[in-house]
Amino acid sequence: MIKTLHQKVSLILIAIAAGYLYLSYNLKEYPYVPVDSDLVPKVLGYVLLVLAVALFFDKSSETEEEKEKRVVPKKEILVMAAVGGMIFVYIFLFEILGFLITTFVFILACSAFLGYRKWMTSLIVSIVFPGALYYVFNYLLQIRLPQGILPF
Amino acid sequence: MGGLDGLLQGFQVAFSIEGLLFVFIGVFIGTFIGMMPGLGPISAIAIMIPITYGMEPSTALVMMAGVYYGAVFGGSTSSILLNAPGISGTVATAFDGYPMAQRGEAGKALAIAAVSSFVGGTVSVVLLMLFAPALAQVAVTFGPPEYFALMFMGLTAISSLSEGSTIKALISATLGFMVVTIGIDGQTGTPRFTFNNPNLLEGIDFLVIALGLFALAEVCFLIINRKDTSLTDKANVGSTKLSKEDLKEMRGPMSRQSFLGFLLGVLPGAGATIASFIGYITEKKIAKKPEEFGKGSVRGLSGPETANNAATSGAFVPLLSLGIPGSGTTAVMLGAFLVMGIQPGPLLVQDHPDIFWGIIASMYIGNIILLVLNLPLIPYISKLLKIPRPLLISLVIIFSLIGVYSVSFNVFHLYVLLFFGVVGYLMRLTSFPAAPFILAFILGGMMEQSLRQALTASNGDYSVFVTEPISLTLLIISLLTFVVPMIKRRYSTV
Repeated sequence: MIKTLHQKVSLILIAIAAGYLYLSYNLKEYPYVPVDSDLVPKVLGYVLLVLAVALFFDKSSETEEEKEKRVVPKKEILVMAAVGGMIFVYIFLFEILGFLITTFVFILACSAFLGYRKWMTSLIVSIVFPGALYYVFNYLLQIRLPQGILPF
Repeated sequence: MGGLDGLLQGFQVAFSIEGLLFVFIGVFIGTFIGMMPGLGPISAIAIMIPITYGMEPSTALVMMAGVYYGAVFGGSTSSILLNAPGISGTVATAFDGYPMAQRGEAGKALAIAAVSSFVGGTVSVVLLMLFAPALAQVAVTFGPPEYFALMFMGLTAISSLSEGSTIKALISATLGFMVVTIGIDGQTGTPRFTFNNPNLLEGIDFLVIALGLFALAEVCFLIINRKDTSLTDKANVGSTKLSKEDLKEMRGPMSRQSFLGFLLGVLPGAGATIASFIGYITEKKIAKKPEEFGKGSVRGLSGPETANNAATSGAFVPLLSLGIPGSGTTAVMLGAFLVMGIQPGPLLVQDHPDIFWGIIASMYIGNIILLVLNLPLIPYISKLLKIPRPLLISLVIIFSLIGVYSVSFNVFHLYVLLFFGVVGYLMRLTSFPAAPFILAFILGGMMEQSLRQALTASNGDYSVFVTEPISLTLLIISLLTFVVPMIKRRYSTV
């Protein structure tokens, strides 16, 4: 019977360990060294396997505090997933549209989504912050952030 | 070059106008980030690393020292004002700090914390200055087997000493080690776990892990608490002046806990959390009026704060003299050093005394700036917390993404960052500690290298780890660190 959170996590970890071990055993051999590149991964795979099994049978239940920490309202999970989605879109468009445009839109959209409705302030921040960052990185630090479709 | 010359040279860098400016900026930003509930020194350092690109290493160093001290103090500030410790190292600070703030003496509590931190930090830097070079001298003779055993001990110590379940901590460490095996193997050139993806050949940068597991994961908690306005109400902290009686009360705990905290900090894995709790408990035990503890006692606040800061500097001893971090925070600090082109280790004192003493000097300066400039500014910094949460969340996210992009110039690693942000959040939900993960990630590469170097030298003979006395001792200690608590627990439950 899989009841507790520990046991669910443990099964996921066992799967990871198994996959990792499978890949470790299929690593290419390199015959000229006494210890090949598969030694450490194999050891790690078995260690994780043993630990995951130990977690499965670990009787110490969660403390109340830990349980409380885990209770997150469904609505908040959706909010976090949406922010994650926005980050995903941001990354996707980052090199296509360039740093300035994507960051401008991200700050506006993300703050508004999280409940900030003072448009003037958020407009100023979303222009000044990426602008300053872009200037510092590209011209002072010589680290090129993607220019995208803008000419500068 | 003698130690004193080096130290003077270090001070010269730190005391230049530029140096002071950057320490100040570092302390200021560090305090600000550290005050955010959830964001701790690890996030603060990781977020600031990209800013140091292109800086002189000496300037970057003093700024980072500022960020570090600032973030630790910022954590104490949110413990005192909100009873919301950002990091476990400042939990004990809230025991007496929060009641004091509730009495309307928030300013006094902050001043006690700042003075205690200053004393703890400074005493411990002096001890660091004495111990680290001596330890480095011993460590010069260490070969691969000793190094392997030492790092192994660091990993088991942090796993068995971190709060919560030892099994979970060990799992976290194992996973961190696994992630670092991704990429081309340095010795044989075999690509490992890359799934034929060319983006993974170079492996995963430590900044991806640090920003994902810490900064991004912590953003999730900012998102959940975004409507929490308790911080904005606390902008008025009252007077930060301390009376003579207060200072007299603090003298005892400060002098005791500076040394005790330092010693606990040097031990791998123990660190600030344990030092602050032990500091609180010992002060309560020897106090004449233990009943005052928990109700806003000066001693109860001063003890853990001194110990906490003494331990954070103590943790630099193994980092600087052996090149081996003993905690999550020093692991990220090591990453920051490597970005600046500094390789801490036994040879650092000999080969680059200027850098070694520069680090020490920057720690002194960071402490002083914290007390002299930062404390009076606390009311203003806490006003900064009025920045609307939604805006702040967006900015932290952007900072994390840019940080990773500026090391890899590859969008693929941004997706990996997002992935580790999710992993970090899930780990927090299920109470898996993240510190062993990042420590194993940093130590893993070095451990594998020294393991294989040792075995290559011995022609594949594993006995090399047990025939060398130092490595044998270290391995036995590391086994004991988690076998003993396990046995104890078994017998105490039966």
